[in-house]
Amino acid sequence: MSDAKVFSDERLNAFVDNELGAQECDEILTAVATDAELGQRLCELRSAKELVRHAYGRVPQVRRQANRHLSFWSGALAASLTLTLGVLIGWLGHQSATATESHGTAAAWTERLFAAEPARILIHLDSSRSEQMEAALDLAEAYLAKASNARVEVIANNRGLDLLRARTTPYAERIAEIRSHHERVAFIACGQTIARLHGGGEDVALVPEAAVTRTAIEHVAERVQQGWTYLKI
Amino acid sequence: MKWLPSREQRELMEQIKAGRGRLYRVAFAWCHDAALADDLAQEALTRGLSRLEQLRESAKLMSWLFAILNRCWIDHLRARRRDVDDELLSELPSDLPGPDSHAERQETVSRVRRAIEALPLGQRQVVTLVDLEGFSYAEVAEVLEIPIGTVMSRLCRARGSLRGLLMEGATAQPRLRSVK
Repeated sequence: MSDAKVFSDERLNAFVDNELGAQECDEILTAVATDAELGQRLCELRSAKELVRHAYGRVPQVRRQANRHLSFWSGALAASLTLTLGVLIGWLGHQSATATESHGTAAAWTERLFAAEPARILIHLDSSRSEQMEAALDLAEAYLAKASNARVEVIANNRGLDLLRARTTPYAERIAEIRSHHERVAFIACGQTIARLHGGGEDVALVPEAAVTRTAIEHVAERVQQGWTYLKI
Repeated sequence: MKWLPSREQRELMEQIKAGRGRLYRVAFAWCHDAALADDLAQEALTRGLSRLEQLRESAKLMSWLFAILNRCWIDHLRARRRDVDDELLSELPSDLPGPDSHAERQETVSRVRRAIEALPLGQRQVVTLVDLEGFSYAEVAEVLEIPIGTVMSRLCRARGSLRGLLMEGATAQPRLRSVK
């Protein structure tokens, strides 16, 4: 005669998931010793749990040709990356900075930034406003001019990608000139923004100096983790 | 003035980077569509970070992000199925595409994914959060905004269905039993 029905399926699941207290666990373990059917039920539940883990141990990576699903989210959400990063950095400890309040005062910013060691700075642009594009380039140049061993990256996403798009940038020559004078500067485009624009049928040819990263947020996270100074324009 | 990120900053950034992969894996288990899962994970991360000031305990970062992932998923389903309430949504079977070609090459993986996919959405969410992420029942209740009793009953029904489906497969193909 089996005692297995004494234990509900919910209780056995809770046992498998370590949700029971010591006394309840003892009761089940004691019963299992003399009840093969109960042991079988537990074995099947545990197998089901292991199989689920096994089935998603390795999941396929995305190979995007076009961003076919983005349309169901609003453009505002997709464009919130900037706010995201600004809030993130602020929340993280108020030690990074936004350059929003410092347009036209790149020199003052660089004075403050030279305190950073090692000399690595990531400048993030997400706006196509010409004064913000210019501020990003001013800041990069000022920093490169003053710290010869500096590494500077300008990363552009959302509307800021216009800085690096061949058809839209007003600064193609200036970018080429900066790059020709400084080996340690990089101009980086957000791959996700590019995919979104491609999905909308837009031409997204970049200036020759631009490299592409998968997503701006991942790049920023990686650089900050590596100790770079992050500045959002 | 200190400009380098603090250890706390670096640790949280590391968690967030790692979190993207975890969000993606669970999103994939929910929808079985790699591109959609990637969008869901990215969206959850973006929404989450834009509201990061609402997170009071950094230790709860991941369960908080999974709760946002759940809302992104519901928003997506709502966009596809208008005029359906949340409770009914959770009971709907999937009509999304099946496992992709990667899984097709792995028989057991493919069979389990099909079994998961055949579960009603609410059960699929609970079983993947418990089994893949190791969340406690209380955490799952918080993430999905449902009572803990519902978590337990959905999990119970999900495992019951999986046992049935997988044992059927095992009868047809005894090799399944060799998988722990």
